[in-house]
Amino acid sequence: MKLSLFGVGDAGTRLLNEFVQAEADTGRNFTDGNVLAFNTAAETFGEATVIPEERQILIGDTHPEVNQYVDPESDDPASSPGGGDAAPGDGSTAPGVDADPDLGATVAGDELPEIRRALDLVDDTEVDAAMLVVGLGGGTGAGVGSVLLEELESIYESPIYVLGVLPASTESDQRALTAARAVRTFVPMADAVLPVDNDAWRRDSEPLDEQYDRINEAVTTRVLSLFAAGETEPESVSEMRIDPADMRRTLAVGGLASIGYSTVEVETDSDGLIARLWRLLGLADETPDTKTDAATIKRLVRRTLESKLTLPCDITSADRVLLILSGPPGDISRKGFETGRYLLEQETTTVEVLAGDEPVPTASTITATVLLSNVTDVPRIDELQRRAVDHLPDAETPSESGSSTDGDDGDHGFEFQDGGVDPDEADSAESDGDATDGAGESDGESDADAAAAAGEDDESVESTPATTDGE
Amino acid sequence: MKLATIGVGNAGSKVIDRMIEFEQDTGRDLCRHSLVINTARTDLAKPEYIPEDRRVLIGETHMKAKGHGVGGDAAIGAEVAQQDIDEIRRIFDDVEIHEVDAILVAAGLGGGTGSGAGPVVIDELQTMYDEPVYGLGMLPGKYEGGRPALNAARSLQSFVTKVDNFIAFDNDAWRSRGQTIEEGYDEMNQELATRIVTLLAAGEVDETDVGENAMDSSDIMRTMEIGGVSSIGYASTDIDAPDEGLLSKFSEEEVSEMESTDAAKIKGLVRRAVNSRLTIPGDVASADRALIVFAGRPEDISRKGVESARDWLEQETETVDVLAGDDPRPNSDTLAAVVLLSNVTETPRIDEIQEQAVDAQDTIEQQEAVREEEIESLITDDDNDLDPIV
Repeated sequence: MKLSLFGVGDAGTRLLNEFVQAEADTGRNFTDGNVLAFNTAAETFGEATVIPEERQILIGDTHPEVNQYVDPESDDPASSPGGGDAAPGDGSTAPGVDADPDLGATVAGDELPEIRRALDLVDDTEVDAAMLVVGLGGGTGAGVGSVLLEELESIYESPIYVLGVLPASTESDQRALTAARAVRTFVPMADAVLPVDNDAWRRDSEPLDEQYDRINEAVTTRVLSLFAAGETEPESVSEMRIDPADMRRTLAVGGLASIGYSTVEVETDSDGLIARLWRLLGLADETPDTKTDAATIKRLVRRTLESKLTLPCDITSADRVLLILSGPPGDISRKGFETGRYLLEQETTTVEVLAGDEPVPTASTITATVLLSNVTDVPRIDELQRRAVDHLPDAETPSESGSSTDGDDGDHGFEFQDGGVDPDEADSAESDGDATDGAGESDGESDADAAAAAGEDDESVESTPATTDGE
Repeated sequence: MKLATIGVGNAGSKVIDRMIEFEQDTGRDLCRHSLVINTARTDLAKPEYIPEDRRVLIGETHMKAKGHGVGGDAAIGAEVAQQDIDEIRRIFDDVEIHEVDAILVAAGLGGGTGSGAGPVVIDELQTMYDEPVYGLGMLPGKYEGGRPALNAARSLQSFVTKVDNFIAFDNDAWRSRGQTIEEGYDEMNQELATRIVTLLAAGEVDETDVGENAMDSSDIMRTMEIGGVSSIGYASTDIDAPDEGLLSKFSEEEVSEMESTDAAKIKGLVRRAVNSRLTIPGDVASADRALIVFAGRPEDISRKGVESARDWLEQETETVDVLAGDDPRPNSDTLAAVVLLSNVTETPRIDEIQEQAVDAQDTIEQQEAVREEEIESLITDDDNDLDPIV
């Protein structure tokens, strides 16, 4: 299906850039250039290497409360380098709306005429749906994103989805609060929200920059496999094509959706050139074992369900499900396709399962992509809300100090400030950062070994140049 | 018989396409008018034997379809067809109805377009024409899941009440054949096309000099006029083409011996047609009327064999209404028997689909009942302390 993409904030802009790049790399042209990036700070635009400049929309730069990045050497507070060399290092306040979603929303509301003008660059009649791409914890992503979503809902007839990156558990409570409020805001307005859980994707043995790349790639791969299926030139003729209507129907129930993805190598020995040739000529003495093939597909689908989902959840809480099997048409067995689809129905306990194939004659793998729509049992969201409530200004144990010294109020998206912390230590590190919060906050989250981890945490946070800070 | 054929949706279009392929390959001329209707533009590109101007896209202006399918939703399929009924009617106008004996509407009942738009199309045809309208419906297999079963169970009711006869094809009975998705479905469509065309193409020639044993279109129509769900059985055998004048080498005695072998062969063929896979498995005894067509070289169709085959089928079906006739194909290298069992009332597969559909409907209703509440509860904290941003 064709999508228009709207990246908002730092994380949104970066991810949008990834999408446009991936389109070029994979030949899956699913936006037709209908993309826009919105930000309240210009610096991330420097990283938007493949987004045309006229589609990078800076808003709020004249708003008194919005800081543009101030180069220490520069006297002019209004100037914004917008270059890739963005390392403020210090900064009592981050550029942009300083992680404040309410300010983000105010700014966007003030600049609606500007936003509307920019939206004219996108032809919504050419696309099947629109997608907002944001960091849910960021002031711009959540704040400007909310206003933009409201605007899109009022002008577009087609569905509007949100791809939103959840803040990692190592990020500040302020970001958790923003994200929890953003979920509360986006879900009723959008046709569906697809959150991406950073924590599920961490791999601590890996160098930091490799992690960013891997996670960004993982997300773009999944979203493309799902939304851009069949959008190749020349168009492949599939037996059971997933139409845009299938996607729309699956997501029409609203709520939060999650994506699973898994691939399997096509067995090369039975599919060597000679074997193919013999089969083509009808000279193969026996047809390849269908049972084995069907079992492979069934295993693949099972593995997809057990794979790291973009939003970890109880799959039985899914409302509707969609499966796309992509690969060489000669290797997708019909029986496997059917048993795979039936497996989904049994495992997710829903009868609304749509399945389709995407023939990719040149592929060396079979890919299964599963969309779980309206999943309602999501521990990560509950946890986010607990942190958010604890962080509310009038909560019993305010934790402003903890979060502001963390200095990670910016819109990080996928970029982790602290790569060296184990996922299960990360929670405790966070609560330990707010050391004064009593037992209330650390309940159920804190580990005994938290102190050491927290020490590491703080250090690494402070020493990391805030390349991704700010809006 | 001469037919106007209409394929609705992906599955229906493909089977019509295969029917035309089969009739061209075998020198038959059954489908005088062919037309495919779909809600997805991409699927309309698939047929190989349907001219471009006989492919109709509906729902292009429908808000939810937009020419991209209906997402397996039969309600939208019906809505879309209703909305574009003028367009469909306009295309029907091209059909010179006096040239055909009947209209056949083929559709897959598990998807959204065939099951939803199919009955709307049939309604329109029944209003416009006096000719009988037959349905050819592909029923989803068990493993296609609950939603297709629900679509099929509901659509089956509409089809059977609206058409003059409904020929059912059970995907499950034909499952586990074919290596890939493409091959699997293609093989099924070919099997189905072979059966339908062999049956209905009988008596397509109007000339009266084809012989007294020839099956006539009116016989087929009479067998079908009782309505209900029908099933088709089929068996064929290769004919060893003897050298010219070979028969003359045999003595009288030998020839008569061969005739009895031929008779046994014919009867065996019919038994095989009924006992092998029917398009929808069912209790043969529950059939209301039955008909046998023998397609092949006239000299291979033994009269004795035809008689004993008919006797046998009369016993099996417990009905006296069994017609048998020839469809002479002088150049054919096969001899085929095709059996039409009309109004078969005992079909376990349809009962299963209905059970699966009821379960599916329950699940869907339960999900709908809690949907909004569950989303609300997920996105709000326990005490509802978190405010939306806008």
